[in-house]
Amino acid sequence: MSLYRFKNVSQIAGNNKILDIEDLEIREGKIYALLGPNGAGKTTLLNLLGFLEKPTTGNITFMGNPVKFSEKHLQQLRRNVVMVNQRPILFTTSVYKNMEFGLKIRQVRPVKRRQIIEENLALVGLSHLINAPAHKLSGGETQRIVLARALALSPKIILCDEPTSSVDLESQQTITRLLKEINVKQHITIILTSHNQPEVNMLAHYSFFIDRGKISTAGYENLFSAVIFSESGKKTCAIDKQIRIDIKADTTGPCRVTLNPDEISIVSESESKKNKITGTVLQVMIQESDKIQILINCGIHLIIKIPVEQYQRIKPMVGDKICLFIKPQAVHIL
Amino acid sequence: MGFFTDSLLSAFYLVGNLDQELITIVLVSLTVSFFSTLISGLFGIPLGFLISFNTFKGKRLLITCLNTLLALPTVVIGLFVYVFISRRGIFGLFDLLYTQNAIIIGQVILILPVVITFTISAITQIDGRYRKTAMTLGANQFQTGILIFREARYGILAAIIAAFGRVISEVGISMMLGGNARGFTRTITTAMALEYDKGEFTLAIALGIVLIGLSFSINLLFHFFQGRGGK
Repeated sequence: MSLYRFKNVSQIAGNNKILDIEDLEIREGKIYALLGPNGAGKTTLLNLLGFLEKPTTGNITFMGNPVKFSEKHLQQLRRNVVMVNQRPILFTTSVYKNMEFGLKIRQVRPVKRRQIIEENLALVGLSHLINAPAHKLSGGETQRIVLARALALSPKIILCDEPTSSVDLESQQTITRLLKEINVKQHITIILTSHNQPEVNMLAHYSFFIDRGKISTAGYENLFSAVIFSESGKKTCAIDKQIRIDIKADTTGPCRVTLNPDEISIVSESESKKNKITGTVLQVMIQESDKIQILINCGIHLIIKIPVEQYQRIKPMVGDKICLFIKPQAVHIL
Repeated sequence: MGFFTDSLLSAFYLVGNLDQELITIVLVSLTVSFFSTLISGLFGIPLGFLISFNTFKGKRLLITCLNTLLALPTVVIGLFVYVFISRRGIFGLFDLLYTQNAIIIGQVILILPVVITFTISAITQIDGRYRKTAMTLGANQFQTGILIFREARYGILAAIIAAFGRVISEVGISMMLGGNARGFTRTITTAMALEYDKGEFTLAIALGIVLIGLSFSINLLFHFFQGRGGK
């Protein structure tokens, strides 16, 4: 089922177009990742998804119904969505009172409230902190309590703004595992922003890339700054001074590009092809689909997706040196 | 030097023996200061909250004006209120002049900007994420407001304490609107001024000791609550 549908949505502040989305659909029960550089418009999009802002132009539908941007209507819609911020806030009271806040607003009976709070604290493994002063918790504990507070409200959607950016490695792993569990067991749709590509690879079913307010077609994980220049009549895309890819393009100059991981393949060293680069395997991940995702260091961190059969034939291991062929159609200029 | 130590010892004797006149003066001071602070709090806190919580045209100008009013001299307030409540003034029929109510009116005018601006400052210091978090947890404007108010509670309490500290030590309004009537409108500061004029330092110093004690306690409370707010 479609949860959100954005049509020609833009958000303008002064003369600056922060967000410019032609068409975006978010479906129920999936994990979506929003990737992109700082200031790309990720948080603005999250605010729109959380019904915290009104768009300057365009239409948004939520569960098939058009969103009316009156405060009353938005407030009702907000009850379906909970946002977990990058630097989350816990109110200066006990953990219990923090978790009780949203439940009280929803007029849940006190006995039921306690039960829900205890269940969700147990889920994040912090039952012992139920009466602790919330503002004295560590960053990782705070993030987990915030997640428990969100879950206690049984939302349809959880929006996470860089949920693991300000916590230690152990908490990162716990939060990632929790998000995955929540999605699988409770079928809650999760939309997260992140700079952490491995985390996104592990979690997200779909990835969107935002740059300067524009969303690129879902599915491309490799976003880079590049320069396109003409060389003896051909257009070449240079990424990070090390990678040169011959492409078909109308423009030249600095730009942002995405490299479709499905259009990059592993080739043998002996094959003489243009657009060939070498790199070292950093990580191999099994996707839910029939593809294997490999993270490769070739000056830049590049993600490729190869069919399981090809993986079983080549069996690239972490640390192996491999050659990649980037098809010209893999490059999409944003 | 002997004169000073004699006066100081006599003053401590008055304080230690809870001298009736001294007690009366202190009670008058505390009563008018309490009521003026209470009234200022009742009006000033909601006003400060509304100003800081809402966005409207002229907000910055209004805050600038309120900040300017912080420096209003007590004698100017005394003079203006006098014009209104004296027999020839438009509120002359209420017979307010030289009563404790007159002092309270003047003191409310003095500390209302203090309460409002300190409340604005306390609310503004609350991280914007509290508001966003409350909204995303389903709170409406009112519930969000209550939450912000709760988070700013120590700052607001500090505003009240600062306002009380301002009125307990002011002299201009009490003198001009209270008239320094013994047992009725004679406050700590006006009594001290009178005793000084008379050359009787014992009571003046005793009152000074009480006033310093009160100011010190108020400041202790102020810093305690400001510290709690900063945590």
